[in-house]
Amino acid sequence: MNAKNTRLDLAADVVAQAKALGAQEVSAAVVESSSINLTRRDGKVEQASEATSRRLSLSLMVDDKFSSHSTSDLRPEAVQTFLARAVAATGLLEPDPERRLPDPALMGRGTSEEALDHLDPTYADWTPDDRARLAESMEMAMDARRADDFISSTSYYSDGRSHYTQVTSNGFSDESEGAWYSLGSTLTLRDEGGRRPEGSSFYAVRHRADLPTVDAIADQAVERSRQAVGSGPTESGRYPMFLENRVAGRILGILSGPLSGSAIHYGRSCLADKLGQSIGSSLLTLVDDPTIPRGLGSTPWDEDLLKAQRRTIVDAGVLQQHYLDVYYARKLGRDPTTGSRTNWVVPPGERSWQALAKERDKSILVTGFLGGNANPLTGDFSFGIRGLLLENGEVVQSLSEMNVAGNLLDIFHKLAAVGDDPWTWSATRSPTLLFDDVAFSGT
Amino acid sequence: MNQPSAAAWFAQFGVDEDLIRPALGLATQYGADQAELYFQHRTSTSVALSDRKVNRVHTAVDLGVGVRVVVGDQVGYAYTEDLSAAAVNKAAATAAQIARASGKGVPEQVRSAIGHPNFYPVSRSWADVPIGNRVPLIRAWEKAAFDADPRVEKVQVSLADGESYIYIARANGLRASDYRPMTTAWVSCTVNEEGRRESGSYNLAARDDLTFYTPDRQERLVDMAVDRALKALTATEAPAGELPVVMAAGSSGILLHEAIGHGMEADFNRKGTSIFHDKMGKSVASGEVTIIDDATIPGARGSLNIDDEGNPTERTALVQNGVLNSYLHDEISARHYGVAPTGSGRRQSFRHPILPRMRSTYMEAGPHKPADIIASVKNGIYCETFSNGQVQIGGGDFAFYVRFGYLIENGRLTRPIKDVNLIGNGPKVLAAIEMVGNDLVVDEGGWTCGKDGQGVPVSQGMPTVKVGKLSVGGGR
Repeated sequence: MNAKNTRLDLAADVVAQAKALGAQEVSAAVVESSSINLTRRDGKVEQASEATSRRLSLSLMVDDKFSSHSTSDLRPEAVQTFLARAVAATGLLEPDPERRLPDPALMGRGTSEEALDHLDPTYADWTPDDRARLAESMEMAMDARRADDFISSTSYYSDGRSHYTQVTSNGFSDESEGAWYSLGSTLTLRDEGGRRPEGSSFYAVRHRADLPTVDAIADQAVERSRQAVGSGPTESGRYPMFLENRVAGRILGILSGPLSGSAIHYGRSCLADKLGQSIGSSLLTLVDDPTIPRGLGSTPWDEDLLKAQRRTIVDAGVLQQHYLDVYYARKLGRDPTTGSRTNWVVPPGERSWQALAKERDKSILVTGFLGGNANPLTGDFSFGIRGLLLENGEVVQSLSEMNVAGNLLDIFHKLAAVGDDPWTWSATRSPTLLFDDVAFSGT
Repeated sequence: MNQPSAAAWFAQFGVDEDLIRPALGLATQYGADQAELYFQHRTSTSVALSDRKVNRVHTAVDLGVGVRVVVGDQVGYAYTEDLSAAAVNKAAATAAQIARASGKGVPEQVRSAIGHPNFYPVSRSWADVPIGNRVPLIRAWEKAAFDADPRVEKVQVSLADGESYIYIARANGLRASDYRPMTTAWVSCTVNEEGRRESGSYNLAARDDLTFYTPDRQERLVDMAVDRALKALTATEAPAGELPVVMAAGSSGILLHEAIGHGMEADFNRKGTSIFHDKMGKSVASGEVTIIDDATIPGARGSLNIDDEGNPTERTALVQNGVLNSYLHDEISARHYGVAPTGSGRRQSFRHPILPRMRSTYMEAGPHKPADIIASVKNGIYCETFSNGQVQIGGGDFAFYVRFGYLIENGRLTRPIKDVNLIGNGPKVLAAIEMVGNDLVVDEGGWTCGKDGQGVPVSQGMPTVKVGKLSVGGGR
């Protein structure tokens, strides 16, 4: 018996066993993953780790009562005991029929494994020595840039592979497999007053060939560390804000909470009654796309095993969809969309943010966040920031110890331009965004 | 119930000296300063109520062993969830690779078992509490929340508990074990006043058994959740800019956790990447300020009988009367600095490597009455409840998010405020602590500290404290 059949057989067997114990509906998942991490500092490997993991998760409906369970103890006799306890525990609850499995017609695969292209075919041939050499070359690239103010630099390489097997009692049975690689460095520099500012550059990809060169990563890590030297706050006030592409997810992300079915159902969403209404300027378009080949957030099916498909969440400022999983859709008496956020794509504009910055006497480029949070019910947010104060596009000061604050229902109306530099190295694929008239607090 | 024997517990999974010794032999085949096998069996249960129904249960089991080989400051690490000899030996051989070029000797095996105090005795294991016994508690909390105020519209409740058996077998012959219980209760409610909605929640956490939920605690759990939601109805936007800040007694310890706690974790210091790197023995705050990281508070969420390297734990003074006193050490950093470990080596689970971490971090009480501290502020803010924080270790900048507080105007608490991030620089803020209150409270909430992708349970506490200046990120 090969490994593939073992996994599908284990999941199918768990479904059958749970049904025999009295469950009417069962969804079982077997997730196997492995990963390797190498950390280098001071010319040697500081940490080498290897992980292999196998986990069984399942959800059950017993007389319309719902429960979920997971275990890493996969000895057959342990699984039997685990399932018997799981079914018995479920019987003690109250019925929650909205938890039933979805209509099988909606379930399945939205994109083929081939089209998702998330398993690098060369992954299996990548040897321990190959990994060691890449990690070492990352460290050597940082060393080649060494200057008097370098205190410490650490380089990281990791990769991994995950295999998902899903079987349900209403006929779903499928598998998906992907690999990933990550490479980057952090650098700590000496600064005035005992400060030791740090900067980093990290990349994650599905295919190794898509990694940037170690020189490009090292240049960015050094540049981002230098940007943080001599930082401090500037005057409180309202400034145009350039939100750097690689950190745009932090501000876009405040939409996530209030768009979710659970927030809407529990009365904790400021976007519950905004479908079809303008929530931002006409420049704001946001697409959820699980089908992007090699995308870090791409997936064939969502958490309910519904076929994953491309969805426009905000179209030219107008809210098009909530994130409704099967359970909360039923609770709200609506049709499900999906409960799973995948890749978020903001289509790029035509001008560079640098050109846009030249046209503003003063602006703030936000390059990082520190702490902060958002209230999904009111939309209020407040985040600590790091960044650069610009005058006519030229850097005049490195910024820290400052906050940016506002409200979700207001900030996106201030979106004044979308840059031409989409960031494709994360599940949030946004260009640099320009917001006018944003409240910053500093001195 | 006394501490159960973890060695006996793991016998049911086939873990004995016949499994352990060959695996440790493989782990140290190229030499090592230290190596260990960390066995863990964790079971957890969570029961939840929403929409007026106890309608969800989740159970989880984690079983496995992590193998670590240490050579100087180099670490090789692997884990397996399969406790067969073949799988454990393979993980040991993988972890051993780090030592291939080291030329180190093998640690001498001197078989010894350490005893330890028990900071979290329980009368009954959580696994022996039938799931049905949790249901009436959850029901009662829901009813109390609805009864507390007619504006309460929705209530969610959960009761989560679990226990972890730990067995540590080290290449130097030491065997150590621990039984670690944990429970967390959470009540959240949404209130509706003429169409304006707000929500509030409260949670209690402890290393304890079911007897933790005394009538007093149950009442507070519900009342605080409702009270927070109702208070939010009256709150408005916070101010912006640099202001004096008074931190309320209790969970304000989040300021210490971010402003100094992380920066005192010795891994950052031995690498020279912490802003506190060159400040040991120097004055960093006024003489009123003593900051403790303590593993020994009975029943506290952050307490530990032994750390995850099998070392005894302690009460560590990070700052003693204003002077920087000790880092938080695991064995690697203790060896680097030539000091004893502080029992701060922690890991999220057998799947994660060991790092120096905080346990329960708090400031000792000072001389001032809380009312006098508030009265001393002409124009500032008072911070009462918090959700999250973060620090940038090298630059020292840190932030924490205030869910709820008040304006202070002419020495009095006035308008309620909410949802505002505060930001400052660790050493500057410590130096700006002007008054320390006489009312230390170690918060009873379920805080989790994140570092390098690992979350570990912690506690935090604070007396009422006045900070001369912090940057307040409101919109006004």
